[in-house]
Amino acid sequence: MLRGELGEARQLAMEIVSKVGDAVGADELVPIKSAHVLAHYSSLHDAGVDVLERFAESGGRFAVPTSVDPASIDLQNWKSFGIGEDYARQQFRLCEAYAKMGGMRCWTCAQYQVCNFPKQGDVVAWAESSAVVFVNSVLGSRSNKITAGMDIACAILGLTPRFGMLLDENRHAGVAFKLGLKGLTDLDYRSIGFYIGRNAGARVPSLVGLPTSVTSDQIKHLGAGAAAAGPVTMIHFPGITPGSRTMTDASRGERVEEIEITRSSLSDTEADLNQTSEFPDLAAFGVPHLSVNELGELARLLDGRKMKKGAKMYAYTSSQAYDMAERTGISATIERTGARISHSTDAEISPLRALGFSTVLTNSAKLAEIVSSEGEIKVGYASQKEIIERVTS
Amino acid sequence: MKGKALVMGSARGEALVSRRAFTFAHGVDPSTGVVTDVRSDVRGMNVKGKILFYPFGKGSTTASSWFLETVRLGNNPVAVVTEAVDLSAVIGSVMAKIVYGKEIPVMSGITRTAYASLKSGPRVFLDATRGEVRAEE
Repeated sequence: MLRGELGEARQLAMEIVSKVGDAVGADELVPIKSAHVLAHYSSLHDAGVDVLERFAESGGRFAVPTSVDPASIDLQNWKSFGIGEDYARQQFRLCEAYAKMGGMRCWTCAQYQVCNFPKQGDVVAWAESSAVVFVNSVLGSRSNKITAGMDIACAILGLTPRFGMLLDENRHAGVAFKLGLKGLTDLDYRSIGFYIGRNAGARVPSLVGLPTSVTSDQIKHLGAGAAAAGPVTMIHFPGITPGSRTMTDASRGERVEEIEITRSSLSDTEADLNQTSEFPDLAAFGVPHLSVNELGELARLLDGRKMKKGAKMYAYTSSQAYDMAERTGISATIERTGARISHSTDAEISPLRALGFSTVLTNSAKLAEIVSSEGEIKVGYASQKEIIERVTS
Repeated sequence: MKGKALVMGSARGEALVSRRAFTFAHGVDPSTGVVTDVRSDVRGMNVKGKILFYPFGKGSTTASSWFLETVRLGNNPVAVVTEAVDLSAVIGSVMAKIVYGKEIPVMSGITRTAYASLKSGPRVFLDATRGEVRAEE
């Protein structure tokens, strides 16, 4: 393509994508079926507003279906969650630039459960580390973990450099994790993921021993834990991952290191993530976003209970699951306890400290990891059941 | 020492050398340039004006935006050098040129042995175009 034919936004996009392609030694740019981008103010900052507006105002339009990670505020009810006007204004500038480029108004980190459904073999360019694990491991589509700035560039071009997880030779398992535990709790799934992320290094892991009853929600949280702890972008689940019926399929017949996940591996992981047993001012569920099924389960657990004084409970979800929960009475049950559902945003990308929270309790390994590395908010890590027992009566 | 140029340019400044995986996302305060990541071995140091060395990146895909925000506020490193390619640095630097007109060269592929000999403090000169980093006379 000649530079002059591209228009300014596409020229800028091509400059980013081709520099990245050179850096990673990609031989070519290949078409993508969809993109998933970032447009939340807490991480993009004012510089991100400059970048998105520059793309949008210079004619940038997404060439493929594009979804977006949660915003830093509940886009509907932000005032009632205590968000300030100035902060909201910058987030809405990002929303407008994103909408102008033609993005789907689907602000979620579990887009594969809501609005962005690639099929086996599709190449996509997704940001959001937890979603990249899901798309590679469960759907059998192919994505690298696409970084902010490059995400928009790939979406505008409809192209991505061919490298990393797009190539067969980088997708075989290089380490096998074995799980012999029964009766896994919600917290166990997150801790298993986190343990894998910590111990796989740069190798693609496989995992055997999950119960056949495992749900896509449980795998979502397992993958999010793994991606939060290390560079993991794919986990082979023999019997689930397309092309990997067995461990041998996953490693393409190679013998690889085996690591047993024991009860003590999980207790150590929990102890590492659980930094306080103090009574929390926020109990947070839904990093990544809860599905409507998970909201229903939360409603069943909360039914008839009341929040204790001093604690808030937020369950984070997509706008689409929120609407469904409203229509089916799930929201009413949750809200009767004093808990709230927040949609189109998520805990780890909302300004928790500015909102006055100093101690957060969660069953999300991802949220616990992010909050603890910032060192400003104390974090407790416990199962959903235990959290409900501690903050409600 | 030799490395591969990922974003061209030259820079001089004090070396700041991290031995552990490094991220700007939730790890550097853009309004000061100070490293805040509790798991970083250079926590409390400032990246501003430094030639920043780290073995590899980690964590959130938003790191390139955190990097770019340090550039917007003038608290950025003047160059970045890594062992393994860190796309966040590459993308952050490319966007810095496009959006703020600032050149921040990026190199990778420093050998592990060469990396081990690096120390924070001494002034170094980096010429990405020639793929070279050396002590400043």
